[in-house]
This record gives sequence, C-alpha cells and structure tokens, in this order.
Amino acid sequence: MTENSDKWLDAYHDPVASLYTFTQCLTLSDIQADGDWKLIVADLGTGTYDMKLKVYKNTTLLSEHTIIDLPTGVVTFYMDTLTPRTPAIAVASGPYIYVYKNLRPYFKFTLPPLDIHPVEEDLWNQAKTDQVNILNMRDTLEAMRQEGASLTVRSIKLLQMETNNLQNFVNLHKNTPLKKQTVITCLSTMKKSVPDDDAISCLVLGTENKSIYILDPEAFTVLATVNLPNVPVFISVNGLFDVDYRIVVSCRNGCIYTLKRGSTDVTRNMIELNSQPVGMERVNKNIYVGCMDETLHCFTSKGKKLWTVRLPASITAMEAIDYKPKSFTAVIVALSNQEVHIYKEKYLVDVLKMDDVVTGMRFGRFGREDGTLVMSTKRGGLFVKILKRTAKFEEKDKLAGPPAAQNTKLNLPKKTKLFVDQTQREREQCVAMHRTFQRDLAQLRLKVLREYVKALDSSMNPISSDPMEPLKLSAHVQGIGPTFKFSVKLQNTSLTQSSSNLLITFDYDEHLYDFRKKLIQVPILVPGLTYSFDTFIDCKTDKGLSDNVKVYVLKPGKSIPLITGVVSMPVSESIVLV
Amino acid sequence: MDPLFMAYSYFRRRKYKEAVDVCTQILERNPYDQAAWHLKTRALTNQVYVDEVEVDEEGLAEILMDDNVIANVSRPGTSLRGPAVKETSGPTQGVRPTSQGGRPLSGYVRPGTQSGRPGTMEQAIRTPRTAHTARPVTSASGRFVRLGTASMLSTPDGPFINIARINFSKYASRPTLAKGLFEYIFHHENDVRNALELAALATEACQYSDWWWKVALAKCYFRLGMYRDAEKQLRSALKSDEVIDAYLHLAKVYCRLDQPLAAIEVYTQGLKQFPGETTLLTGIARIYEGLGKMEEGVKYYKDVLKSDNMNVEAIACIATNHFYTDQPEMALKFYRRLLQMGVYNAELFNNLGLCCFYAQQYDMTLTCFMRALSLAEDDVVIGDVWFNIGHVALGICDIKLAYQCFRLALSHNNDHAEAYNNLGVLEMKKNHVEAARSFFQASFVMAPHLYEPHYNFAILADQLGDFQSSYLSAKRAVETFPDHVDSKELLKQLKEHFSLL
Repeated sequence: MTENSDKWLDAYHDPVASLYTFTQCLTLSDIQADGDWKLIVADLGTGTYDMKLKVYKNTTLLSEHTIIDLPTGVVTFYMDTLTPRTPAIAVASGPYIYVYKNLRPYFKFTLPPLDIHPVEEDLWNQAKTDQVNILNMRDTLEAMRQEGASLTVRSIKLLQMETNNLQNFVNLHKNTPLKKQTVITCLSTMKKSVPDDDAISCLVLGTENKSIYILDPEAFTVLATVNLPNVPVFISVNGLFDVDYRIVVSCRNGCIYTLKRGSTDVTRNMIELNSQPVGMERVNKNIYVGCMDETLHCFTSKGKKLWTVRLPASITAMEAIDYKPKSFTAVIVALSNQEVHIYKEKYLVDVLKMDDVVTGMRFGRFGREDGTLVMSTKRGGLFVKILKRTAKFEEKDKLAGPPAAQNTKLNLPKKTKLFVDQTQREREQCVAMHRTFQRDLAQLRLKVLREYVKALDSSMNPISSDPMEPLKLSAHVQGIGPTFKFSVKLQNTSLTQSSSNLLITFDYDEHLYDFRKKLIQVPILVPGLTYSFDTFIDCKTDKGLSDNVKVYVLKPGKSIPLITGVVSMPVSESIVLV
Repeated sequence: MDPLFMAYSYFRRRKYKEAVDVCTQILERNPYDQAAWHLKTRALTNQVYVDEVEVDEEGLAEILMDDNVIANVSRPGTSLRGPAVKETSGPTQGVRPTSQGGRPLSGYVRPGTQSGRPGTMEQAIRTPRTAHTARPVTSASGRFVRLGTASMLSTPDGPFINIARINFSKYASRPTLAKGLFEYIFHHENDVRNALELAALATEACQYSDWWWKVALAKCYFRLGMYRDAEKQLRSALKSDEVIDAYLHLAKVYCRLDQPLAAIEVYTQGLKQFPGETTLLTGIARIYEGLGKMEEGVKYYKDVLKSDNMNVEAIACIATNHFYTDQPEMALKFYRRLLQMGVYNAELFNNLGLCCFYAQQYDMTLTCFMRALSLAEDDVVIGDVWFNIGHVALGICDIKLAYQCFRLALSHNNDHAEAYNNLGVLEMKKNHVEAARSFFQASFVMAPHLYEPHYNFAILADQLGDFQSSYLSAKRAVETFPDHVDSKELLKQLKEHFSLL
C-alpha cells in the first residue's frame, strides 16, 4: 500500500483495472456538462488489439468504445457554441482523429495524404500492368530507402518480405491506389479566438512526417502547417490561434523548438538537450523537460537553462500541477523506482511511494474535486489521489543542504575535568614522563626478547619460527569425557616448501590420561593444506581433576620439538552407571 | 572449657575443621547429643557452602535440550539468548569486544559471562573446551560433582550421616534440626532428591507457613530443572513473607526461563520492600548488561555504589564502561579505587596499564604491565597481558615488538584467537600471504564470535582475487556484526563485481 501522507488522500485504488495507457491518453473533462468531471482513457488494450476508449464517471465505467488502431493521444475540446456546453473527445490514432460527441462517434478526420516519391509511384504503376520484374522493383525500392527517401507503408512492407511471398503481395495490392499517410504522434488543443474556459478550440497535432498541423474545429480543415527538422513527440501550446500563440515542441533528436504565430524559421529558438526527452511540461513561462539520462531540466521560454535536477531513477511519466485554489504550480515526475516526485521549482516538495511503476498521470478536476491526481500503473492499476486542502508544500528542498543526519548531535562523551587535569600534568612533566616511558620501554624490549628467545629455545610455540619448517599447529579436544577425541591440525604455511618426516607426540600426566595413539607419523605436508590427526584419550580419574596436555611436533635428529601446542583439558564427566 | 562451647567458638571463627573435630569427640562420648550433632552438620555444610543464588552456570544439556523454550526466535530485547539486539545503548561491537555469545564483554567475570550459548551440539562440544571455559555437561554435574566427592574424601570412615537410613518424617517435625539437616543434605551430600523429600515433609509439618521451607523446596526444584514448580513455591513464599532470598531466587528462575524482563520486574518489586538492597540492584544491572543496555546497567551499578561503595563488581563494571566509552581517565580512577581497596592481581594491573596508555599517562603504562606479568600465574592471563602489551607496541609503531608480543601471547595461550588475528594482519602487511591466511583461518575457527578475522580474511582473499571466499567471509563477518560498515562495503563491491559481465 502507499504510505500515509499528510498531503494526499487515497480516493480510490484498483490495482487490477487492467488499463494499459500513458499520460497522453488520459484526460479529465466535463463531457456531459453536468459539473461532474469524467476521466477519459484511451486504453491500448493488449498493444495489438482490444483498444478501447473508456470513460469513467467517478470510479465506475460509464462507456466504452472500441478503437481500431493504437491511440496516441486523447483531448477534449469545444467545437461549437451550442448549449449545454459539451466538449467533444478527440482520439488520435494512426493517421486519423476520431471525434466523439456525447459519447457517440461524430466525425473521423484523416490527415491529408502526402506526396509519393515519383519513382516509387512509377514502379507501382508498372507493377499494376506487370511491366516490371518484382526483384528489380525491390532492388530499386531498397536503393531508394538507402538513399533516405521516404517510402509508403506498402513499399516498406514489401522490402521486409521473403522473396517467395513477394509475388502474392504485389498481386494483392497492386490494384489499389497507392497512398502515403503519416501517423499522429502527439495531440493538443489551442483556443481559437477567446481565452474562455469553454471557448472553441483548435486541435494541434504533430505527425511522423515532421510537421505540426493546426485544425479548424468546425470545418476540420488544416488552418496552418509548420515543418520541423525532426519528428515531434511532445507538444505544449498556449495562446490564441487568432491572436498570438506559442507552441513548444520537443523532438526525437533531443531538440526543443518554439513555434510562434507567423514565424516559419523554427531553428532560431531552439534548445538542445543532452539526451532524448521523455516528458515535457510547461508551467507558466518555464519549460520542464525530463530526459532519458534521469535528469529533469528547466528552461525559460527563451531557451535559457535555469537548473537541472538529477533523479534517483528513470522517468516514466510527467505531468504539471496547476492547482488554482491554492495557486500551487508544480511538476510531478513518476519514476521507475515506483516513486512519484513532486517538484516545485527545483525543490522536491513531496514523494509518493506507490507499489507499482506509474506510467500515466493526469492532475486536474475529477468528479467534483479540484485537485485530483489520476495515475495508471505498469501492471494496469488505476489510482486516484486527492490533494488535501490542508496540504502545505514547503518550499524547502528535501535534499539540498546538509543531510539531516549531520544535524543530529553525536553522543560523544565530554572531556572530563579529570582529563584536563591530566593534560595539565602532562604538559608540566613531559620530560620526566617521556624519560620514564623510554626507560620502561627499553626494559620491556629486553624482557620481550628474553621471553621470546626462551619460547623459541623451548619451541613453546604453536607457530614455527624456523624458516626451514614453516608449520602451524592447532589442537582441539572434543567430547565430554571420560573419553575425549583429540585432534591436531597441522598446516604448512609456506608457499612452495613442503615438509616431511615429522612426528607428533604428546606429553601428559600418565596417572590422569591415557592416549590410544602415543605417536603419530605425519605424511609429507603440502603447502597451504591443513592436515588433521586424531586420537582418543581416556581420562583415568573421576575426581574432577584436569591437567594440561602438550603436543609436540618432532623432527628426527633434533633434540627439541619444532613446535609445541598446549591444551588444557576439560574436566571429565564421570561415567554414569544406570 | 566446655567442649561444646569451644566448638561453637571455632564455628563462629569459621574454623570449621576444628569445630567438626571437637563435635566428633563429643558425639563419640554421647551419640545422642543433638546440639553437637547439629553443630557438626552446620560446620560440615559451611565448609562447602556456596551461595546458591550467585553460582549458576548453565550446562550443555540445559542449553541444547531446553524444554522451556517456546519460540526459537525471541522478540528483540526480551531474551538473554542469541546476540544482543541492535538498539542497544553504549558502544558497538566494533569498540567493545563481545563474548562468545555475541554480548558485550562484562567488566566482571561471573558464571555465564564468558561463554555464550552455542548454536549446535557440535559447536558446544567443539568450542575450545578447556578447564577455563568448558561448561559442565549438566548443572547437576560439574561443580556439584566436585562438592559431593570432596565430602567423601574428607571422611575416610564413611559419611557422617547415612541419609538412606534417616527417617525424614521424624526430623521434619523438629524444625531446628531439620533446617540444618536439609542444608547438609543439599550442600554437603548434594543429594537433591532426598533434600526435596525432607523439605516437602517439613513444609507439611509446619502447615505451609514457613517461607524458609518454601524457598528450600524451590531450590530443590530449580536444581532438578522444574522451574515452574520452583516459581510457584517462591511466589507462595513471597505472599506470606517478603524476603530478599526469595526475590533473588525467583529472579534467577526467570533468568533461567529466559524471561529477563520478568526477572527485572521481580527485582524492582523487591526493591520497593528493600530499597537500596545491593544484591537486587546488582541483579538488575547484570540483566541490563546481558541485554546489551549498557547505560541502564551502569545506572544501576551506580545505585549499588551509593549503598555500598566497596562493591567490587559495580566498580569494575562502571570502569569497563568508561573505558569503552572513550573515557579511560575515568576508568583509571575507578580501577585505582579497586587497587586502594586491596584488590591486587594481574587483571587489575593489566587494566590499569591499558587505561594509563589510552589516557596518555605514559610513565605509568609499562610499569603496570610489568607488574601484571609478574603477578600473573595463569597462562591464559599472561597471554592476555602480552596481547595488550602488543597493542601498546602497535600504538608506538613498533611492529617488530608487537609481533613478538603476539607470538608470546600465543605461546602462553594457544587458543588466543585475537592474537592470531593480529598476527595475520601483521603478516599481511609484510606480504606473507600464506601465513596471514592460515592465521586468519586459525582465528575464526577458534573464535567464531569474532568478526575481525572474517573481515580480514575477506580483504585478503579479495586482494588475491579469490572473490568467492572473500564473499563468503564477508558474509560471515556481517552475520556476527550486522552493523560492520566495512564488511558491507566489501560485500557491495563484490556483488557489483559478480553482476558485471
């Protein structure tokens, strides 16, 4: 579940709404003019079929229309001056715009066909009369494609086919007239002559053939066409068509162009991005662009970069908040780590944690509630959150400045008075202290060396210091008695040298213990491996006494052991006779 | 002089052997002299008397075959088993070393502070079971076996009282004799079954009104492992009479049942009746220490000192806490207090030396260590002192001296895992990879509760390019010390490395 927030109310959540949609295909509108705003969703279905236009009234599905092709955008707009003021729904799909009025299909607009390359047209005309070899035709088309000419869908399909299917394909299609159509990539609206809420709007759409069209809402004729250097993907419009307007378009080449009424040179006002845009929103005079490299940029409408925020994950959706009652404007960014961040200016003012990746968001009026955030998720869920009226977004960056941990006071113990006194003493008697320490140190070194030599001489060490026999010994006792298992582990610690011809024997009190193996012959020890040798010991006493047992590793011909291990035996449990 | 009076005098002066001899003479003359008989039982008991509340080492069998355990994984902060919980106060494992059970080292060695709870039978049997660290197999054997056999050795012509032939119901009705007899059977003969029978009969005889017998019953039940019955008896005793002994025993029962919070409750209840009672305060402090709540524990130890400013345990524990919370000068003051009180042993001088060194009183440091070395008799203690001198040597950057000191520590105590670890680090610095590796291995085989050898081994393996071993080792280090940042960093690096193609 989402965490409790003091800013958002969980109005509705349906994790299995099976919606497959994106921000562009979500819209909120009062389509029945009854003051109850509906949610209009163009559902992509499975991605290949089952595309639907769904209208939700509150949380119930009001109507459903099948769409023939994948929808790329949904907007609502007023196309006439009739009352009641019911807006029409426009769904962009392929080269068409389907207009629904009163939830009924009303009109289908087709984009004007494009000019076909003369060579291609010629080829197909020849094919119609079987004047051309199909393989030659394919080669010519392929050469055209290589040269960068844009071909019709039919030709591209032909180029993709296997050789043996070509004939059938050409026979099937050669008689239908060749048409070249483009595909709508983005859709938006623009008020025509008055800035009222319910004024008549034009449709603004970007297409795959690098153009922007502005359509007249009543007659559905193209009012204006602008050509762009690249394919537009996100579009943002403000202004009035008849007065003055600005269209900001971000394109697939990572550039953002601003179109003005009457100007044709779009490259004059261009913003170049470091990465492909994945979302663009315009709030007031600023343009917010989310990029594929996990950054959020802000530009002025003049194209001056204001700031960049690095995000913790990649962006999946963006949406602007313009909450009029509180005059709160911000940008919502959904991330692939299942979080939704809200940025006011460059400050992160809130984070919503979702349990799925949000793919589509729309903020606006839904039902009768002004500040509603509708989200669709990757797994097909639908979430509705309402902005609380008491919500306050502090204009303080949650991340900037020193982290919170820096301000928490560490529990460091204070320097005591005693310590201060002692430092005082140190300062006053530094010479005497140093001398004493050095004298003691010299004595200590002497003592250490003496002890060390003693230990070496008697080989009272579990590690050999002889470079010829680098051995390490560890001995363990297992069991609870009276019989113990005694295991000796020997390891050759050198890198290359093997040691051989060794013996293990034990030194113990014969009154207390009895070793079953008194002498163990050690095979050759390969460097690095640990060898384990076991024997059993019987404890002869039941008086609760214990003693140390010494383990010697001997080498024939040497009077002292190589290494010695001392094991203090545990107290043996006595035999319990039952 | 009246021989009985003399025997009493001996007894009061704690010359138990003489008291027993005099009593034996009286009894030879008159076998039915009850006063002499009673005095002899008491003298014999006091010879081997151990405070039942204090000494409690859980045996292997109790730990591994505990039938009182309800949940395998207890809620954090409510159990003395398993490693201390995360939200402990006081320094972390990185600063304050832990015992085998994953609990912070105490400043005072008591039964149960050294060895933790082994997880498996194999571990229990295998962990260096020396005379110093071994657990008894069950609490019914071990120390108690030694007590029982000691009594048999001292009386060559058979036991003083033949318990098998005693008519318990006769003695049970005579409260004065019965109490002495019970203690004799319980402490001297270590025959819990018969002691229980006597106690049961005596309780009945006094119509369930004497708290002493109820506590006695509880002691027997406790020794037999019937903790719930012991609890019942003690609760009943507390209902009629508020006695410290009953409170202490009840808390002990709760500790054994692994309900430390209930035990603390019992202690606080007792403190309402007997404010400032040091045994109760110490009990609370010990439990907090065991739970890893050092701050709380020290608070109670300070309370103990308010009532009894000569309490060695409290002083030692407060000193240790000061030492590990970066106030060695305070620790030094407390340890000096111990020295003034007449505690004069190697451990204390060792601690004084360390405190002097870290409090920058260098002129005293080495003298203290030398004194500690000359006072130490036990090889294990000598090993520890050498280990600490090795640290001083590291502090003055004398690597060679440090190396020799660690080697000496090992030659005195072959199982000194920390010394092995430090030697390994020194060898690693010298680029003796194989030696370093075998030292680290030895260290973590000996002391699975240390995280340092695991981490060091992981670093070494990482340098050698043996990422698999490095990963496994780092994981073990994190298991033993979940907050160890360096190990976690290493793990993260390794994970990144593994996920790269």
